[in-house]
This record gives sequence, C-alpha cells and structure tokens, in this order.
Amino acid sequence: MAIDRRKIAVFGAAFVLRLLLICIFPSLPDLLTGRVEVSTPVSSFKRLQEGLFLYTRNVSPYDGGVFHQAPLLLPLFALLPDAKSSPLPTAIFYFLVDLLNAHALISISASGQSVQSRLHSAVRKHVRWDGVSVAALFLFNPFTIATCLARSTNVFTTSGILFAVSNAVGGNSINAMLALGFASYLSLYPALLFIPLVLLCYDRRLQGPAPPNSTSFIVQHGGLLLATVAGLLGLSCLITGNFWEFISATYGFHLLVPDLTPNVGLWWYFFIEMFDSFREFFLGVFWLHLASYVGGLTAHFRSQPLFVITSLLGIFAIFKPYPSISDASLFFALLPLYRHLFPLMRYTFFAGAAILYSSLLGPAFYHLWIYAGSGNANFFYAITLVWSLGLSVLLADVIFAAIRDEWEQENPERVGLKVRQV
Amino acid sequence: MTVLSLFSVPFVALVLSLWSCSVLASSDYHEHLLLQPLPQSSLLASFNFRSNTSQQSFDQQHFRHLPRALGQILQHAHTKELHLRFTTGRWDAESWGARPWNGSKEGGTGAELWAWIDAPGDEEAFAKWITLTQSLSGLFCASLNFVDSTRTTRPVVSFEPTGDHSAADQLHLLHGTLPGEVVCTENLTPFLKLLPCKGKAGISSLFDGHKLFDAAWQSMSVDIQPVCGADGECVVQIEQSVDMVLDIDRSKRSRSNPIPRPVPNEQLICDTSKPYNSDDTCYPLETSDKAWSLTEVFGRSLNGVCPLADSDGTSDPSVCLRVPHERGVFISEGAEEIKKEDGFTRCFKLASSAPFDLSIPQQPVNTQVPLDEPVLHAERTIVGHGQERGGMRIIFGNPSNTSDVDFIYFESLPWFLRPYIHTLHATITGLDGVPREVPASEIVKETYYRPAIDRERGTQLELSLSVPAASTVTLTYDFEKAILRYTEYPPDANRGFNVAPAVIRILDTAHHSPIYIRSTSLLLQLPTPDFSMPYNVIILTSTVIALAFGTIFNILVRRVVSLDEAAVLGSQSVKGRLLGKVVAIRDRIRGKSSKVE
Repeated sequence: MAIDRRKIAVFGAAFVLRLLLICIFPSLPDLLTGRVEVSTPVSSFKRLQEGLFLYTRNVSPYDGGVFHQAPLLLPLFALLPDAKSSPLPTAIFYFLVDLLNAHALISISASGQSVQSRLHSAVRKHVRWDGVSVAALFLFNPFTIATCLARSTNVFTTSGILFAVSNAVGGNSINAMLALGFASYLSLYPALLFIPLVLLCYDRRLQGPAPPNSTSFIVQHGGLLLATVAGLLGLSCLITGNFWEFISATYGFHLLVPDLTPNVGLWWYFFIEMFDSFREFFLGVFWLHLASYVGGLTAHFRSQPLFVITSLLGIFAIFKPYPSISDASLFFALLPLYRHLFPLMRYTFFAGAAILYSSLLGPAFYHLWIYAGSGNANFFYAITLVWSLGLSVLLADVIFAAIRDEWEQENPERVGLKVRQV
Repeated sequence: MTVLSLFSVPFVALVLSLWSCSVLASSDYHEHLLLQPLPQSSLLASFNFRSNTSQQSFDQQHFRHLPRALGQILQHAHTKELHLRFTTGRWDAESWGARPWNGSKEGGTGAELWAWIDAPGDEEAFAKWITLTQSLSGLFCASLNFVDSTRTTRPVVSFEPTGDHSAADQLHLLHGTLPGEVVCTENLTPFLKLLPCKGKAGISSLFDGHKLFDAAWQSMSVDIQPVCGADGECVVQIEQSVDMVLDIDRSKRSRSNPIPRPVPNEQLICDTSKPYNSDDTCYPLETSDKAWSLTEVFGRSLNGVCPLADSDGTSDPSVCLRVPHERGVFISEGAEEIKKEDGFTRCFKLASSAPFDLSIPQQPVNTQVPLDEPVLHAERTIVGHGQERGGMRIIFGNPSNTSDVDFIYFESLPWFLRPYIHTLHATITGLDGVPREVPASEIVKETYYRPAIDRERGTQLELSLSVPAASTVTLTYDFEKAILRYTEYPPDANRGFNVAPAVIRILDTAHHSPIYIRSTSLLLQLPTPDFSMPYNVIILTSTVIALAFGTIFNILVRRVVSLDEAAVLGSQSVKGRLLGKVVAIRDRIRGKSSKVE
C-alpha cells in the first residue's frame, strides 16, 4: 500500500502546513479574509459572520445589503463555535473540506477519464501524473491555501463541483447531479456545467451494461438536478421564511451585480465606468458571453466532456461576475489531469509569467490605490486585465493542445509534425 | 434637582410660564432674547419666537400669526407635528457647558427634519413625506428635496411627539438628515419671513446674515405641534428659535477692516505666573469680561418692540441678559431694567418705538455666571486608514460620580458605509484609567438595527445604553466602504461624503423634557475610480474579452492540418490561384525582357 502511504503523507503535510500557518501567524486568516483577491461579496467570511449574527438574533440577514450567500450555510455555521473567540474549529472544518476536495480529485484522476474515455483516447497516455501528485498540486497551491485560510465559502462550491465530477467519472450519475445541484444552489453559475456533466455520465453509462436512451437520460438527469435545487430552495425557505427576499438577495445579486467591490475579474470596473443607460444591456451581453462557451466547447469536444468541464471552469475563473483566486485554483486543480497535453502547449511561459506577474503586483497596486494614495484605480484595474489575459492565453493554449491531440489521434502517422489551422 | 442647572432654569421656566398662558389666548405671539457671555470671549444669543393659532382657525385656514405658506404645506402633507433644524458649527461643551434648551432645539450639522405624518400605511406616509420635503425645500431654499429613501429613517425610540395628538391619528415618524447642507443667508431670509414682524421690528431686527453665519455655532429651528390645554381646547403652536454663539472679538471687528492684527505690545496683558514670562515672551491672559454692545456685536441695533407681540405685562420682558448683578450695564433711554433675584439675570422692558442698545464696559468682576455641566460627553470619530474599510469609535463619558446615565444612541448611516454589527465591542474605563473589554451586551441593553440596502435605504441603528457613574465607555465597530458607480459620485468626490451626526437622547426622569446631544458630522473617504476614462475602460475590457472569445472560437472552428497540407491547400484556394497567376505573369514579363537583351 505504498500509494496510500503517499496519500496520507500528502494529506497530513497539507493539514500540518495550514495548521502551522494559522498558529505562527494568528492574524493571517483575518488578513486574507479582507483581501479583495480572495474574498468577494458572495463568498466573504466576514459577511457570512454578519449574516450569522443577524440570523442567530432572529433578524432576517437578507433584509440588508451585506449578506448574499446561500441560507443553508447559516444553520451549518451556527453549529460551529464562534469564529471570533475560538477560530480553530472553523479553521479545521475548512481544512477538512480542502482534504475532501483533494480526495475527490484523486478519484477523478484514478478513473483515467482525462486520457481515455468512450470516444477518445489520448496519444500520449503514458505522460501523466498520478492522483496523489494531482492532489498535492491542489493542496500546496498557494491560491488554494489562501482561499482555505480566508475561510471563503467558495470552497463549498468547489466541493460540489469536484464531487459532481468525481461521481460522474465513477459512473454514479445520480450523486453527480445531487452534488451539482448543491453547487448550483450555492453559487448559481455551476448550473452551466450541466450539459458536459450529463454527457460525461452518459458516456460512462454507455461503457457499462444496459445502455440507456440518450434523450430520456438527459431529461431524467435534468429533472433530477432541478429537483435537487428545488429541494434545497424549499429547505432554505423553511429557514428564512421569506422566499423572494432571499432569492433576490442571493441569485438576484449574482445576476445583476449591484456590488462593485474590486475583485480580480473584469466586471467591477467595467460596470463602475459604464454609462447608466447601457448598464442593463452590457449585463445581458456579459452573461450571454459567459454562457456562449458552453455550447461551443461542448459541440467541439463531444468526445471529451471532462475536458469541457475543465475549460469551462477556466472560463468561469476569468469571466464570472465575482471571481476570486479560488476559482483559478479550481481550474489549476483540474489542469494537471491533462499532463499529456503539456508538451503540445506553445505559450506556457508567457501565460505563466503573466499570471505570476499579476499575482505579485496585484496586491502591491491595490495598496498603492487604496492605502498609499499614490496610484489610482487604473493601477489595480490594469493588473486585473493582465491576470485575465494570462488566464485566457493559458486556456486558449490548453484548448489548442487538446485539438492538436485529437488531430494526432486521427492521423497517427503524422504525430509530431508541425501543424497550422486553416 | 441640583443637576438641573441654573442655566437651563430660565428656559424651562419661560417655556412653562408662556405655555400656561398660551392656552388662554387662542392667537398670540411672543418673542424673547437671552444674552449670556460664555468663556473664551463668546456670547450666546438665544432668540425665541412663538405663536399660537387655535386648531379650529387652522383647519379653516384662518391664519394670523402662523404663516400661511407653512400652514398649507402641513395640511397638504397631513403633517401633524414638524421639526426642522438648520445648524452649523460645533457647540464646545467642554468650555460652554450644557446646551441651550437642553439640546431640544438643536439639529445635527446641516439640515435635519423630522415629522409625524398622519397616514394609513407606511407607503402613504412616505409619499406624504416626499411631498413635505419637496415643499419645504422650496419654502426654505434648502436642498431638503434630496431627502430620499436612502436618507430617511423611521426611528423607534429616539424621538417622541412633543405635542398632544388625538388618538385617532395614525402617526408615522419620519426623520431625514442632510449633513452636507451648507446653511447660509438664503435659509435665513425665508426663516425671517415666517415671523410676524419679519425682521423689521422687535428682536428679529438684530439678525444679520453676515454675523449669524459667522458664528462659532448657530442653530435655527422651526417646531410646529398641536398643544391642548386641560379644558380640551387645542391650539397649533409654532415656535421658531435661533441660538448662536458669537465670538465677541471677531464680531466686533469692523467690516471695513476684517483682517485680524496682532495686539500692540503695550496693550497685551500677560500671564506673569508663567515661568517663561519675560520682556519678549508673553502668554496672553484671557479676559472674560470683555466690553461689548449690541450694536457692535450684531452690527445693528434693536428696532423697538414688535407691535404684534404680547406686552401686557403678564409675560416676561423680551430681552434678558445673564451677567452678575455687580456688573454695570448701560442701556438706551426709555428702556427699563428689572433685576431678578437669582443674582445673575436682568431683563429689559423696551420702549415701544425707540431703538434699543445695551453696552457692557470692561470691568473686573469676581463672580462668574455658573455654567451647567453636561450630563454626558459624547464624541464620535472614524478610525482606521485607507479607503477600503474603517471603524467607528464612539466615546461616552459620564462626569457624574454618583448616578448612571441611561440614553438612546441613534445613528443613520448612508448605504455606502456598510457596518459589521457583529464587530460591536465595548470598553469601559473607570476612575483607575484602565480600559476593560466588556461584552457589548453589558452596556447595550437594547438594539434596534435595520441594515442598509444598496441604493434603497440607509442603515438605522438605535442602541439603548447605560454608562456607569464616573466612567467612560468606548463603542467600536468595523465598517466597509462601498465603491460606487462613477455617476453616483459628486463632483468633489475626493473630498469625501458627509455622515450624519448621531443623536443621543438622555432619559432622565428629573427632567420633564428629554436632553438631546448631537455629535459632529463625519467625513467618509470612499475609494474612487478614475473619472476621466469611461471610454478607455469600456474599450480595454472589451478588448480583453474579445481577445479571449476570438482566440478560443478561432481555435474551435478552424481545421488542424500539417504544414505540407497547408501549402497544398493554400495553392488550391482562390487567393492561392490568384497569386499563382500573378507569379506566372511576372515570370513571363521577366522572360521576355531577358530575351530582348
């Protein structure tokens, strides 16, 4: 059981590293909670605490402009001891969620769906990392650690997505839909992953005995997803009492983007500077733009639904209304599954340098704008542009590598030749 | 009753005595001026104008002393009780003691308005409130029309109606503040027009915008409320008052020579007890017994009495002065001086048509008019740095050594200041001077909190607090500063945004009317975008999006071929064929020309 021992070592090391960080720097979690790159209005732990404070005093947390997170988080965190007086239990809870995510990642990697699925078989199958290495890359990614220490509620969405994928590649399509329903309930945008996920489940099912009818399969699973979300909403309604109030404070907030607190994404400064009469129009355009990738990628990569999910997560990390580095960390968590595509990528240095550059200069420029006063908002805005550009170059490069891989699979005699697109 | 100061006794007595006689007459008018020198060569002048109209004539629109413009606004907006304040400057409680009228005729910096409106529901009340603010805005030349839903609150325990209302009315209290309002002469002129003598005669003839708004602190107020006597007959009472603290030196400076100049050496009075006192070093000694006269301080003299005012001898004379009796006061001919028994107050009966002036010469005096110690000291500041987040710190000091102070703390915050109420912390500093952290629930007995909704309403926070004797309580909480859309910033965005003063209502059973204290208004710095580049931002963001979209879909829709295939494909396309023709023609021309040679 050598692999198991490695897994325990990686998980233990990740846990101890996080524990050491909060023991040596006790103010680190609060510092990270306040960082705009880590905490967004829809995932901030401080806002969650404010909502919790109001909830435990029987005031509706949604009758205000601070709390915009899902209602089911409230009773969950009400069970945990107060994070102000005893921060350790909450922190350990987040550590465990991170380890669970890593576990899901190991099972995704173990299924081998990224290199070999029903309709697709990669040329460089042998070039891959095993599950523990993928999990280690996730657990020791500074973005993941920062998200975990900042206690951002994004980690629950991440869990939902990772469990949905791990259940789908494991052939457990019902659990996959339940997990996706949970993630969509928490932050709405994972619902866009439904089509590739259901295709993934369908492909898995076709490999087994008794292949189902495709239309009824999709309809059934769509119904299941809706039922899950409806059930969770019904439960939330029991908790909050006022249905429309919490719907408009959570999903309305996601859709209409009224809070323009700076983050690493492209929406906030655009909508600060947008002329009032065009705000609604561009809101629609931005959402349509985000949704447009689902169709394109799914149609082109019908044979690799898992790759569609990975690249969509990259798209979300760039073009979501309230992105944070935790979304990027989820994309970077799934990327190592495609180790076999790395030799085919062309701009890794440029993309990596842009991401590194912006993650180092971002906090500095934010400081210059907000605290030092020697820079203005354009400094931080420019860095968010570089960040988005770096991520989109990386994403486009991965997609190109996947297309190249498919081409080599179709033309085995031409592997390694120089190619171009016409 | 010892706490009830000597200073506030004349106010309370005056109010009570005049209130009792007001019930008898259905329509009457009173005016009163109290002058009191304060430490640091300041002079407090309290003007009060009050008139009554019977409820019946008010309902029938028979207005005599009550201004018709205001009366019709009230009837149109179904407003039963109205309080309007215009305040500038800061009352220095540490040197001047308790506030005039126990703070009940004072507003927060800027404009403050609260009213009880008779309406069947909340929405109707708000609609009436908007009508009221729009009309008052026109009447007083103030920006009261900017009191929208984000600046309106409905306080629960901080205010109570002062008038007598019938039980049938469904009253809604609405409260709005404009902390950034610049109060100036354009507000004084309509204020004076509401008076029966309109600033032509009586004490209102002393008002000069240049002096009033040059004061260290001034507050104008309008209060309208129904008052019912024991016999059940009701009158509508309008009370207007102006309180101001003038700097005597500054006011005496003539307008032709407004630049302050240093006192010549030989006129300096030095504090010889200072160790560094010598020929060339002087610590100027403050003289509290400055010489001044009405004409010097107000820039004009008092034009007799207002003929409409009650002067049948039953009520107090209209001008009173609080200086020790040993102090000599010169008054104009025809006026009559009446000294009161308390040893400090003297009043003047004015000749009906002759101008009145009083002057006080410089004179060393041994006794001082005792000042009332405030019941509570309150101070509110914004702490922290940076434009992202900050904290509010409120310090309450109880000077009494024996009794606790119970009070209501009320603040309304703009929506772009997002308080985190779970971070509310309390610290108590006792006589030993050591701050102790205590749970907020120990100090705060009750909380009424209504959080803000972005662009819809502001935060409303009411705390019922108790400060133990001889201790100081510090409350802190964190807040976050929202970033706004660029059209929502005012032209001077980097100046900051005004946050309305907090209102403190002290619940003291010894006083019949509650004591009010208002903190100073605050300036909140918000993060600002670059206002000059909306086009640039739209273009740059769109470029990045188009770049990502274009690259990805370009990769998705195009076909992958190897380089040699690409060359073949290139020659088959229209462009390739055209290029081939061009090359062939070129070759032919070259070939011909070479043949000729």
